[in-house]
Amino acid sequence: MALDYDVPEDKRALYWLGDQLIEWRNPVMVVVLIVTGLFAYWTFQLRLVTSFGDLLPQSHEFVKIHNKYSGTFGGANNIVVMYSVKDGTIFTKEHLTDIFKMTEGMDTVYGVNHNQIESIGHRTVRHLKVAAGGTLRAEPVMLRAPQSQDEVDEIRRIVHNAENVYGLIVSLDDKSALIRANFIEGRLDYRRIFDDVNSKVIEPFEGPNVEIYAAGEPRLYGWVYKYAGDVFFILVVTYCIEWVLRWLYFHDWRGSLRPTLTGIIAAFWGLGFVHLIGLALDPLMLVMPFLITARAVSHAIQMHDRYYEEFEKSGWHKRRAIVAAFAELFVPTFSGITTDAFGVLVIILVPVIMLQKLAITASWWILAITISEMLLNPIVYYYLKPPEPEFVVLRERGAFRKWIESFTHVLLSPAGKTGTLVFWAALTLVGVFFMRGLTIGDPTSASPLLFDDSFYNVSHSKIQDSFGGVEPLIVVTEGYDKDAMKDPQVLRTMEKFQRTLERDKDIGYSFSLADIIRAVNRVFHELEPKWAVIPDSWTDIGGLFFIFFSGSPPTETAKYVDPSYTTAHVTFFAKNHQGDNIRRIIQRCKNFIAENPMEKASFKLAGGLIGVLAAANEELVRNDLLMNFLGFFTIWVILLFTYRSFVCGIYILGPLIASNILVNAYMAVNNIGVNIHTLPLVTVGVGFGVDYGLYIISRIIEEIQVKGDLDDAVREALVTSGKAVTFTAVTMIVSTAFWITSNIRFNAEMGLLLAIWMGVSYVGSQTLLPVLVAVFKPKFIMREALTKAPKPAVAAARQA
Amino acid sequence: MHLGLWSSIAIVFGFSIVVIALDEYVAKPWRQRRWQARAESGDKEAQELLKVARSAKVYDE
Repeated sequence: MALDYDVPEDKRALYWLGDQLIEWRNPVMVVVLIVTGLFAYWTFQLRLVTSFGDLLPQSHEFVKIHNKYSGTFGGANNIVVMYSVKDGTIFTKEHLTDIFKMTEGMDTVYGVNHNQIESIGHRTVRHLKVAAGGTLRAEPVMLRAPQSQDEVDEIRRIVHNAENVYGLIVSLDDKSALIRANFIEGRLDYRRIFDDVNSKVIEPFEGPNVEIYAAGEPRLYGWVYKYAGDVFFILVVTYCIEWVLRWLYFHDWRGSLRPTLTGIIAAFWGLGFVHLIGLALDPLMLVMPFLITARAVSHAIQMHDRYYEEFEKSGWHKRRAIVAAFAELFVPTFSGITTDAFGVLVIILVPVIMLQKLAITASWWILAITISEMLLNPIVYYYLKPPEPEFVVLRERGAFRKWIESFTHVLLSPAGKTGTLVFWAALTLVGVFFMRGLTIGDPTSASPLLFDDSFYNVSHSKIQDSFGGVEPLIVVTEGYDKDAMKDPQVLRTMEKFQRTLERDKDIGYSFSLADIIRAVNRVFHELEPKWAVIPDSWTDIGGLFFIFFSGSPPTETAKYVDPSYTTAHVTFFAKNHQGDNIRRIIQRCKNFIAENPMEKASFKLAGGLIGVLAAANEELVRNDLLMNFLGFFTIWVILLFTYRSFVCGIYILGPLIASNILVNAYMAVNNIGVNIHTLPLVTVGVGFGVDYGLYIISRIIEEIQVKGDLDDAVREALVTSGKAVTFTAVTMIVSTAFWITSNIRFNAEMGLLLAIWMGVSYVGSQTLLPVLVAVFKPKFIMREALTKAPKPAVAAARQA
Repeated sequence: MHLGLWSSIAIVFGFSIVVIALDEYVAKPWRQRRWQARAESGDKEAQELLKVARSAKVYDE
């Protein structure tokens, strides 16, 4: 069937396109179904994987140093297990046997670096022993599980006299011992490590008098994987809630089904593409697919609502209604999808692989909505039976419509306009005031990925309480030549570095080669404290090192110093990883390094968890403002071309900027920091907000072309598109807010923040945007006034 | 509560079928009967709605 009826001349091409899609529905449907089938197949191949390296800004100097030395000096992937007794001390045969066996168990956990386990039960933790004839030997603290009380007493004596043990891996009150293990970055299978640690290190040794706590990044991600199963529950519940809400709104099951099809097809295209380009799904980013699907559903609701509206207007002509809905919503839908896709794509500028992957996959996924929503829409409607007229009419006359009409009447009254402008100005000022407290990095010492009362965070704080600090900051001392680490000035500077930084309230303790040489020198001089110093000559130092390391294989000594004595490290154990503290500690390190140059070596920042978090935070500071600016600028450019107006972007983005300020203020007040996970929030949130504005502005233009009066056009836009926007916003906010039930705090917070973002931007698009348009009468809208006569079909239908 | 991929798919699929069936065979007939009753009792809005519905000629092609 050709277009043998009157259609608006400026949209004739779009009407023709819609009609042709119906005409060629079978081949188009077959092609789309085949491609969707392929993507669906790839979707089911997708794996849930987190790669720690992907979270790091790989181009940052700190991360380069971390990558270079993490294999030898230890990285950020430590698991710390604390064995703690309630009554008595760990120095009993039973408890020491437990610690020894736990250490053996840790040595068999998948991916563990066997040379980087620290525990009094491990061969690499040694003490100096003076043997018969005056020779010195470095021997493991425990060669086996103690067989008698004498052996227990001997171990206690050794621990109390070893600087590298007492206070570091055995607590000063003798109640707790640590087993610290570093994992090889390329073999991080978080799920397997989590299960292994549980079955080999924790569960067999729990008892009425024993408490075992485990912390560290691999453990944390293990918990995240464990909780990732919640996602299915959340998805099922939100799906059911959305179905019921859409059914209540449309009074018809088609209104529930149609947006679901759009969402499912877009999800297959998006997830399949993720697998196709060799990526995996990150459990921490699971909220993102949901949000993108929600966006597809949101566009579909607009289209469905418009279809019903056009169905009545066209005199109950299904095909004409489908084509009209397609053509009339083409501009706002396509602009919405493009702004969303390119808005999210700016995340690619942040040099963090996970965010770059997110940018690519999310952009593709959003663009896939073009297929599922725009291309297939006319075809699917054509296949479905048309809705019963009484339900279409009923929908237009329900209480919801009446409520929207009353609200619009109040909003567009003189008092309503003034009140709206004053309200938003005041709210934005309050937001600006509070957002100054926004933190870059983590604002709390606990992990922001899980809740404060989660078992992981409780374990983390228990270990911190007993040992003062477990989060490593590794500063590498890089010599210019071999044997540089035997130079007295280098060792003294390392020692001075330790004493200087230990004055910081958030550094628990530190360790370096200087500690070993002082301890060896003291033992060599019959334990006299005055000899716990660094010798003056490198030959003496070399001799002492020989004594200490001679009994150990190179794989064990490498964690302190490389075999040529060119490179070593100073490791500080921080009490927390709060953003402000990391910044201060790193600045102190930089100050010390600048003030204390060495002749034969230099300090390189920084590895360990604190080092890589410092790098991530520095990148966040660098990119946060840039991303905000580029996100908004990209949308402004697309709006410039869509509406051929420089000011259109200001009208649509104004409420979004205000929303952004308010959400940032909320984050600051509630102690939620800007980190690698919350950074994409702005671009994702802006995408939702801009969609609302686009539908309103497009409808205002459409109405003013026929009506000629701006206030009437704004009113009509609010009760038609605005009604659908209101419904969309309500369903999106309800379903997104349901994420607060997630055990993963990050997902819960993202859900809450995005719900707030959508809520605030929705209110902005329904109040501030129309009032701004009504008050300032922008040219890009006014120039369209009375450029069209009413559509004959519409007029006829209304007359009838 | 933990759900797996396939159990989730089964639940949402089953739920959708139930909603469609309830809408077609329970809600719509009930709503029609309700509007009919309201129209018979003199409700103007209901009478107008039914008039629109009965006079509407749907072009389904």
